[in-house]
Amino acid sequence: MGGLFLDPEGERRQLPAVNAAALIQFAISAIAVAAMVGLAALATRGRGAPPLDEATARRWLADEFPGRALDGLWLAADGKGCVARSDDRALILTRMGHGYAARQIAWAQVSAASLQDGRLRIPLGDVTAPRAILAMTAWPPKELAA
Amino acid sequence: MKTFDPVTLATPFFIITVILEIVLARFGKLKADYETADTAVSLTMGLISSLAGVITAGASFAAAVWIYQHRLFTIPMTAVWAWALVFFAEDLTYYWFHRLSHERRIWWAAHVNHHSSQHYNLSTALRQTWTGGVAGTWALWLPLSFLGFPPAMVAIEKGVSLVYQYWIHTEAIRRLPRPIEAVFNTPSHHRVHHARNPRYLDRNYAGILIVWDRMFGTFQPELDEEAPRYGLVHNLGTFNIVRVAFHEWIGIAQDIARSPRHILGWLFGAPGWSPDGSRDTSAKLKAEWAARQTAPPRAERDAA
Repeated sequence: MGGLFLDPEGERRQLPAVNAAALIQFAISAIAVAAMVGLAALATRGRGAPPLDEATARRWLADEFPGRALDGLWLAADGKGCVARSDDRALILTRMGHGYAARQIAWAQVSAASLQDGRLRIPLGDVTAPRAILAMTAWPPKELAA
Repeated sequence: MKTFDPVTLATPFFIITVILEIVLARFGKLKADYETADTAVSLTMGLISSLAGVITAGASFAAAVWIYQHRLFTIPMTAVWAWALVFFAEDLTYYWFHRLSHERRIWWAAHVNHHSSQHYNLSTALRQTWTGGVAGTWALWLPLSFLGFPPAMVAIEKGVSLVYQYWIHTEAIRRLPRPIEAVFNTPSHHRVHHARNPRYLDRNYAGILIVWDRMFGTFQPELDEEAPRYGLVHNLGTFNIVRVAFHEWIGIAQDIARSPRHILGWLFGAPGWSPDGSRDTSAKLKAEWAARQTAPPRAERDAA
């Protein structure tokens, strides 16, 4: 690095070799990344987060939305998230790795969402969580549809 | 003078230790929580950040050299005292760089991806920014060259700091002996830094020496009664790596487009700042958390 400015001519001569070395290093690093991800997949196979149950969902919601009372809670059929109602707000958890992403939107948006192929698709309007997709057996829930 | 890059030299060590952490955790020999998609994002972010860094490295190094040509003193790169001095000077600079990266949104946009994993393991250390060069925080190190530290010396010390900070991204090491915890940044201190619990937000900005946090009032020890929950205040709902890398920049652009007259606030306000105060900043979340600690339990409030 120091030679870059103390010996410009020498540095120019070295550039092709430096570039080749950098490319080789990048290629080896890419292979190593693929290997490490593969190893992580193998090592964690069958060790995913357990399906979300009501107690766990309530605990997560209490952490994410402290002080909010829940008027209703609906778990996804595959245990990968839930929708809760709190006054006029919908509190949503969706599985992310071994954790969850939580968002709140107007309840009206969630109640208006439709079920397609057993999946409730809720647009969240957030660049960091564009939509929540939850497996539901029925929507809106019977108790609210009545 | 021949120089070297500590990060390049340490890359095989990074690979070997990630593999060891995954394997030993698999057999229950240490605590580490890996998840495939999360690991893939972290490691790919790291890989591509090495390319992204090259694009701006030339400009930032040229700026350092230009400044160095107008230096106040000439500090020899061969003197032991000079290395001792640059160690402290660089580490103090890193503290303020890191603090700024958390407390001002434009720089948080470049740093947020490092905090976007809900996991905390050695792969998280490699979840590095793609936009740090563009954010311009490298300018914070220019005063060191103006003082007279050769730019190569500063670059090496920055690399040493980055390599040091790698191994502290782990749950496998609980606490180190007290004298070490008192002086150095450790896995315990850095777990607090990566936590999203309100009590832990915006704490422990240290690079190598935790003493800066103690001096400037940002130190928070890890508490046995409150395990860190990792990630962002509003965790990402996607593993899309482009969204991971650029989401805060996109958010800034959307906010400016929506309300251009607040551009300074959108850029230089705290992350979560909004004109009407409706969004969550760290300060707001901490205040709400503190209020909940002193408020009577809900049952008592309802009875009253």
